[in-house]
Amino acid sequence: MTEYTASTALAHGLQGCPVCTSVVSAELSRCERCGETLHAGWSHSIQNAWAWLITSAVLYFPANFLPITYTRVLGKVTESTILGGVVTLWEHGDRPIAMVIFIASILVPLGKMLVLSWMCLSVQFGSRFALTQKTKLYRVTDFVGRWSMIDVFVVGILVALIQLGNVISVRPGLAAIAFAGMVVTTMLASHAFDPRLLWAEDTRNDN
Amino acid sequence: MNDPDGDNGSDTQMACQECDLLIAVPRLDIGQKAYCPRCNYLLAAHRPHAHAMVFAFAVSGLLFLALSTAFPFLGFSASGQERTVTLLQSILTLVTEDLPPLAFIIFLAIVLLPAAFLIGAIYVCTAIRLHRNLPGTVRVLRWTFTLLPWSMGEIFLISILVAFVKIVTIADVSLGLSFWSYALFTACMAVVVLYPDKRRMWQRVWALEDD
Repeated sequence: MTEYTASTALAHGLQGCPVCTSVVSAELSRCERCGETLHAGWSHSIQNAWAWLITSAVLYFPANFLPITYTRVLGKVTESTILGGVVTLWEHGDRPIAMVIFIASILVPLGKMLVLSWMCLSVQFGSRFALTQKTKLYRVTDFVGRWSMIDVFVVGILVALIQLGNVISVRPGLAAIAFAGMVVTTMLASHAFDPRLLWAEDTRNDN
Repeated sequence: MNDPDGDNGSDTQMACQECDLLIAVPRLDIGQKAYCPRCNYLLAAHRPHAHAMVFAFAVSGLLFLALSTAFPFLGFSASGQERTVTLLQSILTLVTEDLPPLAFIIFLAIVLLPAAFLIGAIYVCTAIRLHRNLPGTVRVLRWTFTLLPWSMGEIFLISILVAFVKIVTIADVSLGLSFWSYALFTACMAVVVLYPDKRRMWQRVWALEDD
């Protein structure tokens, strides 16, 4: 059984380096062992997370409402959006794949933004509600975020592969780049958010 | 205290990466893991021969990645016309089809960053195996950890399957030799990422500096 002292590093004036796991003084803005930039008392974590979150929320709209691909079959061009693609797949009977895309492209990014906003707000309001569950939720959110890139890659593959001149060809739409930007900014928001902040208020009240 | 990896594994203080709980992690035997008692985050694990495993799989992964650029990656045919592309050709197609930034992001995520990650891992393991503090080992190890979330080989692999399901209704598609090579690369990459323990890798590297 692991023994532990029931208080946080911050309460001892210390912080753990997220990269090399060393425990160093909370005052340091750069890890003395590996050189990683530290959150220096974590003052900018929430601010940075909000900045990335707002950027990704703005990108969410062009990503979902602009066409993501233009398909040209025998001279006739069809635009399709992400949701349109899901509906087409569903109607063709590929329901599992339609579900995967719907979850990965539409629900996950939205869910991730909502979860991270909730996290930021609960730090700012010093909430002590369900800290363990929130930490786990953060971990899941941080893990699944990258998988939203599936749609960007699928567009890339379709465009690269389906190039048969006049017979059939696919071109990417602006939504593809907006979508990629949205995934990248939610990832950055997730990295900026420091889950240890959730526990800061808990620590303060213990002492 | 003499375990085969020659690790000192002393009782060191750790701050949980997720809930900041300050913990004294005890010495772990082979196969043992330490979890945070408050939030259950995996703090440390003792896996045998970690640097040898990482070295072997990183070298194999890099070779498979290099091979995957050499042969046809995917094939596509409709109405009697056929098209096969290599990995790099498909990136170039994206550049010419109006969205160079998209091509750049994809190239970064599926080729360049994974390659950089594996080269970094090989470099660090080489330093550990030679018991020599090669120049910049600490910096290289730090950068490999920073790059990791942006390396998306496994996601690309799933994307290929999704793209196939989309295309199959309108045309015939085929997987080339390079696809299988890429699949093996992602498998090797998974071992390199999941097998070693972060804290233990760092302890190894610091031990080199102290020598």
